[in-house]
Amino acid sequence: MTAQTPDVRAEDVLLDGRVRIEDLVDRDGLDELCKSFHALFGIPVRVYSSEGALLADAAGEQELCAYVNTTPEGRKACSSVVSAVRARDAGDSGDLVHPCFTGAIYRIMAIEYDGRRVGRLIVGPFLPHTLSEPPASLAGVDPGISLERAKALLPKMPRAKAETVTRIAAHLKAALDLILFSGHKAHVTSTMHLASVRESYRQLEEKTARLQEAFDRLKELDRLKSNFLATVSHELRTPLTSIIGYSEMLAEGMAGELRPEQLEFVKTIHEKGGQLLSLIMGLLDLSKLESGTMRLAMRAARIEAVLGEVVSTLTPTARRKGVELELRLGDTMAELRGDPERLRQVFLNLVENAIKFTPASGSVTLRTRMVADDAEGEQEGLSLLAPTRSRLEVRVEDTGIGIPPRERARVFDPFYQIDSSSTREYGGTGLGLSIVKRLVEGHSGTIRIEDNTPKGTTFVVTLPQAAAIAAEGQRDTG
Amino acid sequence: MQINFGGREIAIKLVYYGPALSGKTTNLRSLHQMTTEGSRGRLMTLETKDDRTLFFDMLPLTFRAGGSAERAAGDRTMTLRVKIFTVPGQVLHASTRRLVLQGADGIAFIADSQISETEHNAASFLDLRQNLADLNLSLKQLPVVIQFNKRDLDRIRSDEEIAALASRGREPVFKAAAVNGAGVLETFFGLLHLTWTKLDAEHKLAKMMGVESSQLLPMAARQLGLEGDVSTLLSACVGGNLDRHSKVPA
Repeated sequence: MTAQTPDVRAEDVLLDGRVRIEDLVDRDGLDELCKSFHALFGIPVRVYSSEGALLADAAGEQELCAYVNTTPEGRKACSSVVSAVRARDAGDSGDLVHPCFTGAIYRIMAIEYDGRRVGRLIVGPFLPHTLSEPPASLAGVDPGISLERAKALLPKMPRAKAETVTRIAAHLKAALDLILFSGHKAHVTSTMHLASVRESYRQLEEKTARLQEAFDRLKELDRLKSNFLATVSHELRTPLTSIIGYSEMLAEGMAGELRPEQLEFVKTIHEKGGQLLSLIMGLLDLSKLESGTMRLAMRAARIEAVLGEVVSTLTPTARRKGVELELRLGDTMAELRGDPERLRQVFLNLVENAIKFTPASGSVTLRTRMVADDAEGEQEGLSLLAPTRSRLEVRVEDTGIGIPPRERARVFDPFYQIDSSSTREYGGTGLGLSIVKRLVEGHSGTIRIEDNTPKGTTFVVTLPQAAAIAAEGQRDTG
Repeated sequence: MQINFGGREIAIKLVYYGPALSGKTTNLRSLHQMTTEGSRGRLMTLETKDDRTLFFDMLPLTFRAGGSAERAAGDRTMTLRVKIFTVPGQVLHASTRRLVLQGADGIAFIADSQISETEHNAASFLDLRQNLADLNLSLKQLPVVIQFNKRDLDRIRSDEEIAALASRGREPVFKAAAVNGAGVLETFFGLLHLTWTKLDAEHKLAKMMGVESSQLLPMAARQLGLEGDVSTLLSACVGGNLDRHSKVPA
């Protein structure tokens, strides 16, 4: 089979359906088929394409023909008969007889497929049933031809009745037709398959382009939203600062002594104002982080300083709730490059959360340790790379209510809360963790959630080190 | 349609469309069984092992003025080759359906008469419309006939309902039980009639073939080995516009 050119259109194959024998049939196989017919019936068979190319040949030279070919004129006459046979069309009926001067004949028959002629079958030379002697025409071709010799060779030529040849040819044509049909079907199937795949691919490409467009549009909208958020937060902060400031002044008695009830009201205004401000600051942080405009003041930072500060800030809160807060520093500490302010914000948030969700007599523990950078597939040269690739891990473990595994990825989404009722029970805006995650990522770090068996949650923050340095012993801070 | 002057051939493409398992392939099988060799070729089916159509089925028919015996070298008249295709009904073969629809000259929509299949028929028809739109074709330009198949089953939409719907619709409607051959020839000749009438008006095909326009259908019927009058077949049609374009040939 010839190779399909990739740009064949299914429509052409479906409607045109023009077939060429040489495209559909294996040449050697066709040759074998003709040879088996020759072996079975003893009659030479050749198959020509509609363009006149010889596709299969099962015809040994007959002894009579070989004899005739030994004479110069005989050879000439023989080759002219052979080329006439080759050139001759099967005629309107699709079946005709072409005589040879030896008395033998050829049958030329059309091979049709799907109502079209696709080639010719040439059967012969063979002797007609009725012929008993070499015709006089044979001797006339060349004086060197002996009729006696020809007569002796004549019986060696195959001899057949016209009906027999018709039957044999019909059989061969039927076999060939089946092969053509099977080949055509396979050809159509594969063309269709290719076209279908191409069509599906084209559709997918279109769809992808549309999705990309929609995605770009959404990204643009998202950017606009972040800008809007930043602007609004900023604008909200200004009047709020006044509310907080003036309520503070009122509470301090700068506008005269307040009655206890008035003082209580003013303090509530001040407190709620403070809450509103922290929410707005959170929004501002988030929008800055999202738009990439937050600047981290990166410098050498020590995690024990950051965590120590966090623990001392939150120890009173923990005590009030009856939760034990503990810091356990590992024996090797790394110097980090980071923004200590923002790192403090990260751990304040995580520890505050941990305390919030841990019931009385529970505990919140901060642990640090150095871990090897164990990214998959990066084990080559580990002994060389590990010292420079190790990271600092800070684990914030609580014994609180825990986070179901399926929620763990989502808690870092802005405004997401596992269950909206927790807002009422525990407070919070749902902004904290999304800010934490972005800040950690801003430090090229990662954050994930693990179980704290048997109960509670562990937030694991890893941060790249500036250079590993050894710290002596393990220090516990209560 | 393709006109090949070199090969003296006119090729027309008819497509049997419809929801999965509505009997498109069965229509072709019956048509194949009810006609005689000579004018019709082998039925090519490309199906999966569970007998569902994978790409399409194709039945080629060949008609020429004076019949196949008359093929003198000097004869310049054209041969009409009609190729009937079915599309794969299953939803997942959408791209193949569109490919098969490419260049269709006429469409027979094979609907399933069962009441439970009403929605599938409608969905498939909308799918047809969408696919045609994707190919820059429209149902308005194309000859379309509708066949309500499986009339031999229980729980089907009633004759009255179909007659009422057909009388309001644009498309000629035929009722069939393709599995036993009922309505199959009627549908085919209805579609051939509409398609031939339209294409002949646009391209003067009859002149190229050396026949009278009105004689094509009777000639086709004769060459397919059918006896009787083609107009009897066409009169099985319910509603629609079968006769609006031209007279049914006597």
